[in-house]
Amino acid sequence: MIVSAGYYMALAAALFVIGALGMLLRRNVLVMFMCIELMLNAVNLTLISAGRALNDLNGQVAVFFILVVAAAEVVVGLAIIVAIFRRRSTASIDELSELRG
Amino acid sequence: MTFTIDYLALAPELVIVGTLLVVFTLDMVLTRPKKFWIATAAVAGTALAAIPLVILGVQGETRSMFDGSYVVDEFALVLKGLFIVAAYLVLLMSHHYIESERYYQGEYYFLLLASVLGSLVMASSRDLIILFIGLELTTAPLFLLTGWRKGDAKSNEASLKYFILGVLSTAILLYGMSFLYGLTGEITFSGLAEATAGRGDEPAMVMAILFVIVGFGFKIAAVPFHFWAPDTYEGAPTPITAYLSVNSKIAGFVALLLMLYIALPGVSEVWAPALWILAALSMTVGNLSALRQTNIVRLLAYSSVAQAGFMLVPFAAAAVVGADLEEAFAATVVYLAIYAVMNLGAFAVVIAGARKTRSGELSAWAGLAQVDSRLGVLVAVFFFSLAGIPPLAGWFAKFAMFRSVMIAGGTTTVVLAVIAAVNAVIALYYYAKVVKTVWVDDPTGEFVEDVEAAPAVSLRLALWVSLALTVAIGFFPALVTFVGDASRVIAVGG
Amino acid sequence: MSPYFESYLTVGAFAGLGAVLVLGMLGIAAVLRPTNPTSAKKMTYECGVDPVGSGWSQTYVRYYVFGLLFVIFEVEAVFIFPWAIILERLGVFGLVEMMIFIFILVLGLVYAIRKGVLEWE
Repeated sequence: MIVSAGYYMALAAALFVIGALGMLLRRNVLVMFMCIELMLNAVNLTLISAGRALNDLNGQVAVFFILVVAAAEVVVGLAIIVAIFRRRSTASIDELSELRG
Repeated sequence: MTFTIDYLALAPELVIVGTLLVVFTLDMVLTRPKKFWIATAAVAGTALAAIPLVILGVQGETRSMFDGSYVVDEFALVLKGLFIVAAYLVLLMSHHYIESERYYQGEYYFLLLASVLGSLVMASSRDLIILFIGLELTTAPLFLLTGWRKGDAKSNEASLKYFILGVLSTAILLYGMSFLYGLTGEITFSGLAEATAGRGDEPAMVMAILFVIVGFGFKIAAVPFHFWAPDTYEGAPTPITAYLSVNSKIAGFVALLLMLYIALPGVSEVWAPALWILAALSMTVGNLSALRQTNIVRLLAYSSVAQAGFMLVPFAAAAVVGADLEEAFAATVVYLAIYAVMNLGAFAVVIAGARKTRSGELSAWAGLAQVDSRLGVLVAVFFFSLAGIPPLAGWFAKFAMFRSVMIAGGTTTVVLAVIAAVNAVIALYYYAKVVKTVWVDDPTGEFVEDVEAAPAVSLRLALWVSLALTVAIGFFPALVTFVGDASRVIAVGG
Repeated sequence: MSPYFESYLTVGAFAGLGAVLVLGMLGIAAVLRPTNPTSAKKMTYECGVDPVGSGWSQTYVRYYVFGLLFVIFEVEAVFIFPWAIILERLGVFGLVEMMIFIFILVLGLVYAIRKGVLEWE
């Protein structure tokens, strides 16, 4: 059975929405990180399937770069979390509220 | 496979990369009392990067690499120059601040230079991948720099908020870009311009463009995507706040303008109304929120949100009525250049003042001019310039903005111009309030009066440079109109 | 025997060799090593973590730092794969370019070592 690009796009859209909803609804920073990864992987899936459907290599090249940048960003984020954990012992973003907008 | 690399065109970036590695190595080798060499190397390297820029500017030819994905034209050169001057001023401001805070110095300069490198790359980018790399290289080091004061809960929180919203905006932006690619099969801006023209009625295209605009909306802190800005600005070390509000904001604008002007001019009916709303909301909400701030850094944060609104006005106005975008583009670049100079000056004065008041609260600043009239004059110059009062540089930025709106013509643009004018008046009120507090009000507390509190040499240099530029541009706007003219020479590549 | 099955013969030979190697190693070790079992040594080994208890146990924040370092260096390797495919066509230029790339990565590793990240206090 050949799965057309449309199905992959739909899967990517679903992943993106799950990630976005998680970002909005969940309050644990680590879970929020996972949601971000989910959103970025939805982007990667869209690019790959589009590149495949169009028979064009640029989509895959873009995925390489997004993959690496996403990894670097998550490392930065976890470093920030480790720095915060060393001072206090919570992973809930609501308890970080010394600055009020 | 043959390809040539134009090393002269890449020279500014390469110099910064070299400086990065030198700074990084020095940090590992040097012991603490000798760490000042790191700052020296960073400042020298940034200055050195300006030399190839000048050479390229004198030659004045457009250089294009990698099938037109990376272009060095006059527009790119002007912006690179702006980024390097702004980075230089931030480095000068940082020097004493970082030394007195006793945190890691080497990493600070390394991360700051990495961010500068990102903005240089972005000015030349003419395809989606390079634009994305440049944008991320600009912002990712800033997540860490925002949380620089590790022992300070505010700084921690600021960096976490900035990180989460920064990465969220990246994901949204990328999703939009992946749709643009999927719909057209193009990643270069010139290819996108051809492939998207006249396809503004396709739902997927509309969605892609809106995602891109929302993504950039976060990056430039436009209302309603601005809520991270005041918290992040307040929590970050003040020189980094200056960098955030100038370099990183301008970088976001450059990316947005490149996308809209070069890649998506054929679907302006989709993004024009969105931009119009962003501009109107940013100006109004930014200024109204700034009115009730009591902390001077938060006030500047909301003021920079409002300024982002002013910067969006020319483009939004021209696109809504379908006028030629070139004039608006030039006006925006002029506004960006002037904003950079005067906002950096305002932050330098905040750093200098905080050494005397030991506080960012406006009440602590009352009567500062009575003990240090020179500082008082500087506060007046930069804040009145931000308000747009002649003969300081800010008036010309506002003038260029209104002029381009008038050239565009049409009812919707007039409405936007009226909103902008009303907001300029509101802005004048709170900028003037700061000046009044410093000059007229009686001191509420004690000022630190020792020698330590006098601005350090490097900070003083930063103040003088931005003061000179602010006054000079105000009297001779021709100094900056060439920036706008140069930006008209923008190569689409191909 | 058809060539198809002949190639499976190779697979079988390799599998056998692998089995002999592993069993041989373990056997030699069993003969040579001193036996002095304690309760701590008999515990199932799982990367230094106590394997008993609920799955939701807490882990050291320290692991994160190792994890972060691993992720970064592992992901950078992604750029080496496409490079390796066209290395012959790129020639010396490509080699030098990748050397610079790896040099920068090594510099990062040296930095991590200097900062004592790889030491377990």
